[in-house]
Amino acid sequence: MQIAVCLCQVPDTSSVISFVEGVIDFSRVNEMMNPYDEYALEEAVRLKERFEGSVVTLFCVAPPSAREMLRKALAMGGDRALLISTTERPDPFQTALLLCRAVAAFYGGVLPDLVFCGKHSTDFQSAQVPLMLAELLGIESVSAIIKLEASADSIQVEREIEGGIESLEVHYPALFSVEKGLNAPRKTTIKAVMEARKKTIDLLPLTISESPYVTITSIKPLVREKKCRFVQDPKELVRLLLNDGALF
Amino acid sequence: MKTVLVFLEQREGVIKQASIDTWNHVQELVALRPGVAVSGILAGPARTLQLEGLLAGTGVIFHANEEAFRLYNPRRYARLVAETMRREGATSLFFADTALSRDLAPRLSVRLQASLLSGTPFDKGKVDDSGCARLVYSGAAIASFASERALNIFIATSRQTSFTTTFGAQISVVVLEPSMVTDDDLFPMVSSITMHKGMRDVAEATIIVAGGRGMGSSGGFCLLEELALLLGGAVGASRPVVDEGWRPHAEQIGQTGKTVAPVLYLACAISGAPQHLAAIGSAGTVVAINRDPHAPIFDVADYGIVGDVHLVLPKLIEELQDFLQKR
Repeated sequence: MQIAVCLCQVPDTSSVISFVEGVIDFSRVNEMMNPYDEYALEEAVRLKERFEGSVVTLFCVAPPSAREMLRKALAMGGDRALLISTTERPDPFQTALLLCRAVAAFYGGVLPDLVFCGKHSTDFQSAQVPLMLAELLGIESVSAIIKLEASADSIQVEREIEGGIESLEVHYPALFSVEKGLNAPRKTTIKAVMEARKKTIDLLPLTISESPYVTITSIKPLVREKKCRFVQDPKELVRLLLNDGALF
Repeated sequence: MKTVLVFLEQREGVIKQASIDTWNHVQELVALRPGVAVSGILAGPARTLQLEGLLAGTGVIFHANEEAFRLYNPRRYARLVAETMRREGATSLFFADTALSRDLAPRLSVRLQASLLSGTPFDKGKVDDSGCARLVYSGAAIASFASERALNIFIATSRQTSFTTTFGAQISVVVLEPSMVTDDDLFPMVSSITMHKGMRDVAEATIIVAGGRGMGSSGGFCLLEELALLLGGAVGASRPVVDEGWRPHAEQIGQTGKTVAPVLYLACAISGAPQHLAAIGSAGTVVAINRDPHAPIFDVADYGIVGDVHLVLPKLIEELQDFLQKR
């Protein structure tokens, strides 16, 4: 089974995003693998272990510095990685387009059996790239899955909907974006890290002439206007809420 | 005349409140701009009479009243919406932020070569309808996004308003001709849906009673369940609570959980991590109960009580019961 996993890099969720003269100060921000992509990679590796002869290939649209992150992903069980190196930040559509072309180039026009992505990146949370990629590849897809059971000719998945869980049947080839809770990603071992050093990370020189669908016009620090009115007892609170029409 | 299309989502024939909120939000946005017509697209069997008195403004709803659309099917839905967009010459398409729209909208964006904007559409009158803003970087910053395409798809965060005036609304329904559904449309196919028993989902609740680690244990949430039941709301949880296994992930509010926009949000023993605050940015009235007067949750709260939830909540429940009895 050929399995593609799309990875991206995000600022470490524990690092503080601060602004210097109106611009985000990235100098004190560590980049790491998007947490949702870890679940995507783990699921791919588990399937590789189950279906003999499977190969897990990693695709990443990022600056060249993403090599370090890809090294970690290889230690987690990826077989090889392709880095589509960009200096400018592509929008979700351009990212999906780059991934689509990289996938087509790598597999020589044949579609991989499965494609896994994180449900969204934690920095911008657009949740657009995975499903855009599925549309560009022309394959079936399900977003934000929490459970997956694969057999030789079909896949059963579950995803959370408002107030419940939806079960779906999907056929190969398919793309899944992955929600937290699908699995517990493994920790890398020293042995795996050593082996990962021997695996290849190829740079794929791809450029696109297509213009973005969406541009970011500004990013500003969030300034909250504090307006909290402290009240002493619940009785007063109930009166105020009834006054505002926020209750019943 | 410019046409804006609103997707009305149904499950088991019931049209989602979030879709109704989106419709009314769009009506508000276009009210100040003459020459814009609002239409709706409803996929699947549903009684459109249920919308009576709920939708504001003027508009036509196109209803694909067919069994083939009863359950969500990405291919059928994408084709129906894309066809309706083209036929009506619509330039914008609005979705409520739901599991379905997050699945469907990116596909439509590519298919229609339309920009996809999620968040809060810009204020009426200020700019045209081609931008939106939302929190990024775990709620540390707010970003504005602009469309670069002639067609736009919005996944809009719209708060339910209790005062939507539907007086004088003129909504008509046009049932669409049956579409040609072929077998190759079948997959991915929904094989079953299991609804959680009990209370409403946090993503759809008008009132949310949420608890943090300070509730102490899973047992501590009994108080919140009691309060939620009393108010007709849903119980929500912060990330540490879900990580501890006290509550299911479906109830988690925050960056790794759900984004919510209730009329009333009651945060009990939640300190207010940026990731949590980012997810409640569209809530109406926020009430915080916390022992720590410096907890960041008070920065976004409208009303605050500094105190131990285990002492404050029973009193609050008592007050509400009192009020309900007297009424």
